[in-house]
Amino acid sequence: MTAAKLDLLQGTLDLMVLQTLTAMGPLHGYGIARRIEQVSGDKVFLNQGTIYASLVRLQQRGWISSAWGVSSNNRKAKFYSITKKGRKQLSEDAVNWQRLASVMSRVLGMQEGGE
Amino acid sequence: MIDRLQQFFHRVICIFRRKKLDHDLDAELAAHLELAIEENLQRGLSPEEARRQALIRFGGTQQAIEQHRDARGLPGLEVLIQDLRYAVRALFKNPGFTIAVVITLALGIAVNATMFSLVSAFLLRRPVVHEPDRVVVVTSINPARGFLPDSNPVSAPNYFAWREANDVFSDISAADEYRTVSLTAAKGKPEALPSAAVSSNYFDVLGVAAHLGRTFSEGEDQPGRDHVVILSHELWQRRFGSNPSLIDSTIRLNREDYVVIGVMPASFRLLGFTPQLWTPLTLTVEDRATAARKDHNLHVFARLKPGVTLEQARLEISNLARRFEQDFPETEKGWSAAVRTLPDFLVYNFGIRNGLALMMTAVGFVLLMACANVAGLLLARATGRQKELGIRIALGAGRLRIVRQLLTEGLLNAIIGGGVALVLAYWGINFVATKMTFNEAISAVPLTLDRNVLLFVLGVSVFSAVLCSLAPALRASRTDINTVLKDESRAASAGRSHSRLRTVLVTGEIALAMFLLIGTGLLIRGLYVIEHQNLGFQPDHLLTAGVTLDSARYKDAAQQVSFVREIIPRLQHIPGADTVAVTSDLPATGPASVRMQIKGEPDLPTNQARNARDAVVSADYFSAAEIPVLRGRTFTEMDSATSSPVVVVNQEFVHRHLRDQEPLGKQIRLNVTGPTPKWSEIVGVVANVKNYSEAPDEDPQVYEPFLQRPVSSFSIMIRTKDPNALASGLRGAIEQDDADLPLLHVMSMPAVIDLQKGGDVLFSRMLGVFALLALVFAAIGIYGLIAYSVGQRTHEIGIRVALGAGSKQVLRMVLLEGLKMTAIGAAIGLAVALPLPKVFAAMFTGLLFSEPRLYFIVPLAIIAVSMLATYIPARRAANVDPTIALRNS
Repeated sequence: MTAAKLDLLQGTLDLMVLQTLTAMGPLHGYGIARRIEQVSGDKVFLNQGTIYASLVRLQQRGWISSAWGVSSNNRKAKFYSITKKGRKQLSEDAVNWQRLASVMSRVLGMQEGGE
Repeated sequence: MIDRLQQFFHRVICIFRRKKLDHDLDAELAAHLELAIEENLQRGLSPEEARRQALIRFGGTQQAIEQHRDARGLPGLEVLIQDLRYAVRALFKNPGFTIAVVITLALGIAVNATMFSLVSAFLLRRPVVHEPDRVVVVTSINPARGFLPDSNPVSAPNYFAWREANDVFSDISAADEYRTVSLTAAKGKPEALPSAAVSSNYFDVLGVAAHLGRTFSEGEDQPGRDHVVILSHELWQRRFGSNPSLIDSTIRLNREDYVVIGVMPASFRLLGFTPQLWTPLTLTVEDRATAARKDHNLHVFARLKPGVTLEQARLEISNLARRFEQDFPETEKGWSAAVRTLPDFLVYNFGIRNGLALMMTAVGFVLLMACANVAGLLLARATGRQKELGIRIALGAGRLRIVRQLLTEGLLNAIIGGGVALVLAYWGINFVATKMTFNEAISAVPLTLDRNVLLFVLGVSVFSAVLCSLAPALRASRTDINTVLKDESRAASAGRSHSRLRTVLVTGEIALAMFLLIGTGLLIRGLYVIEHQNLGFQPDHLLTAGVTLDSARYKDAAQQVSFVREIIPRLQHIPGADTVAVTSDLPATGPASVRMQIKGEPDLPTNQARNARDAVVSADYFSAAEIPVLRGRTFTEMDSATSSPVVVVNQEFVHRHLRDQEPLGKQIRLNVTGPTPKWSEIVGVVANVKNYSEAPDEDPQVYEPFLQRPVSSFSIMIRTKDPNALASGLRGAIEQDDADLPLLHVMSMPAVIDLQKGGDVLFSRMLGVFALLALVFAAIGIYGLIAYSVGQRTHEIGIRVALGAGSKQVLRMVLLEGLKMTAIGAAIGLAVALPLPKVFAAMFTGLLFSEPRLYFIVPLAIIAVSMLATYIPARRAANVDPTIALRNS
């Protein structure tokens, strides 16, 4: 796996986490993972465990914060919420990502049309 | 940027909060799984299936934890810490091994550090002046051969000419660095001190300010205003108790009053120059005259104009020198001039570079041998650790990680070794410092464990760590898991390339030892020959003392002559005094070389002009020194200023300059200082005396009678049964004649020679120590590696014995193996050492380095040592009991 591809994937997951937290409000790790799975149509594209590396990274950057709390069914869990800095980052990254996605789809479209 | 820093900060913190964070993560992951299981249960799965599904969805727990750790911390640093922790554990697990490695490295590094402290003190320390690289020293290049012919002092007329004509210096000053003055303090005896006479801008050119008071100001080098003096910090402390109110008070120098205007800082010291006080250099009209061109006694210091390069200055000065050559062919023919930066000049003029380079090379080889030994040890252990490394690789450790691990261990070894080496070097440096006192210029340079030495030790430690652990590390990383983890890991084939590497190490070490022993042997032998050579005179039972007649009381030649005429009979009356003489140069202490002509012979071209060493001696000099007279006569009281000039020459003079023709009656003219020299007749021939006690050369030599050409600075020489007992009598006799005249260096002639040779003795002792260390290292290396390989082959030897090999055969097999390595190594070392005599002869002119016996003794010694080192393990191998050997594996 090349570094560029890894970065892209890392960044993608980080972006998904930020977006999920913006949309859903504070959530625990399992909640975030489930939510991403649901949105992606329950297609398993990552191990749920992977999410925790992303969470600690985002936290160190100051984009999300965490606190221990109690889940809806009375279980102790760590809840993450997006920070102001995180929201700013998300809006920037989302624009970039959309730009990239549109370029990519155009490029891929060109290939198909060429055959 | 700030974000990055913040993140880095977080990561560093995470390394230290590892336990808590791991605990937190465990709780979080446990919560995750429970939440997942609960949801699966709600979806109607059985408890077991719910748990299984949750785990599948989660992926590898351990993997998630690792990812989390990598993301939150600094993986590189954590690996390093882990490696270090592991390395420390490995060190403690095998303390004997660790001690062997540490001591070997420490010894190797310590001798290097000790030697390097000399390099740092003599070569790397910069003079404490303003922008030392912009200060240059202009020296004359003497067309005659001699000691450092291209850094001769300069004559006064040349200094004046450069001062007036050059375009490249913003300021230029001159110093007569080697004067002697007598200081008479209020109470106490007169003391002779080395001093320098410097032009008034000398300290301005160097850019050094006084510690107390001031330096010279303009005009103070004019007669009448020149009775001012600046003291060195040391003299001020020693003689005047650091009294600050000394400034502006008066002290007696050479019987005259001088006002103390300043004290220089303790840090102001130019390598090789040791004046205790500075007086103004007064140059008169006479010093500009053509006659003064022969008198080379000034060191010229100048500061380059801004923007002017050293090259430009060189060009300008050599152009000027060429013009002098045309204008004053009589005195300047063949002479030219050199320009060096101050730091360069000081190091060059001190002439210690070759010796130090050689010592550093020798200790460098000692370090290489130490590293080879440690590499051998590590290699041996790596074989023992193969199984451990195999398991680690099997568990997923990368090869790079294994190499890193082993390098970390090597580094830790070397750092500990370096630490121990620092302690040893501290002792070593102090020891050398107490021995390095053979002259004032040497003992003026403090030897310390300074920053340069510390950096050097660090560098050398890291270098040795890499050097001695890289090979074993790379080998270990290529460990084949399958072979290693199988039980029969001692199969002979597995050790094949290991034993090859070991063989290379041992062979290399023997070659190095051979080279080093022959090299040091040659040097020590060369120095020994010099030390025990026949000097051509009898130094025992001679008492000597230096006298410098000051110009205040002894203004002219007549007064100098009458002093000597009075003092010789007075000294002869001291009870116990045998023969008394005075001489400008004590025998074998390097009298100056002068150019000369022989009547009736054409002048030779400048580059092969006739030269002879020249000494001025009193009538009884030859009998006092016991120099045999071969032809004619020596001097008498009748050879005085009023009679016709005569000289005595040595045998070498007759041989080289007169081609062994009849010397008596021949007329020669010496190109010496002073009024136009006259022709002198050769009246006698004496035997040769060595130029220096520490060199084998015998140059042509001329002796002039003191009464015909008196000098102001000379030595007294008294032959007596017990020189030490006579010293006080000598002092008393001088005091009766002139109470204000100090004696310099009252000592016996053997003591003078020892002082002159001091460096060589220390030099050969140190070389001897290095050679011994090298031999010990080689022996340990050979023993260690052979012993190890025998240990490894116990199984194989057991099989051989079981199959019927006798203990003699086994012994022979192991011994032959050792002998093969020794022979190859010795041959390589011998081949490399063959050109050494030539190399040394080029480095140390005058020393003889032919000692054919060494080429037998050293190889024999090395073979003997290595055979001994092989024999012990070989005997153990021969006594292997096959039943035990085979059961063991």
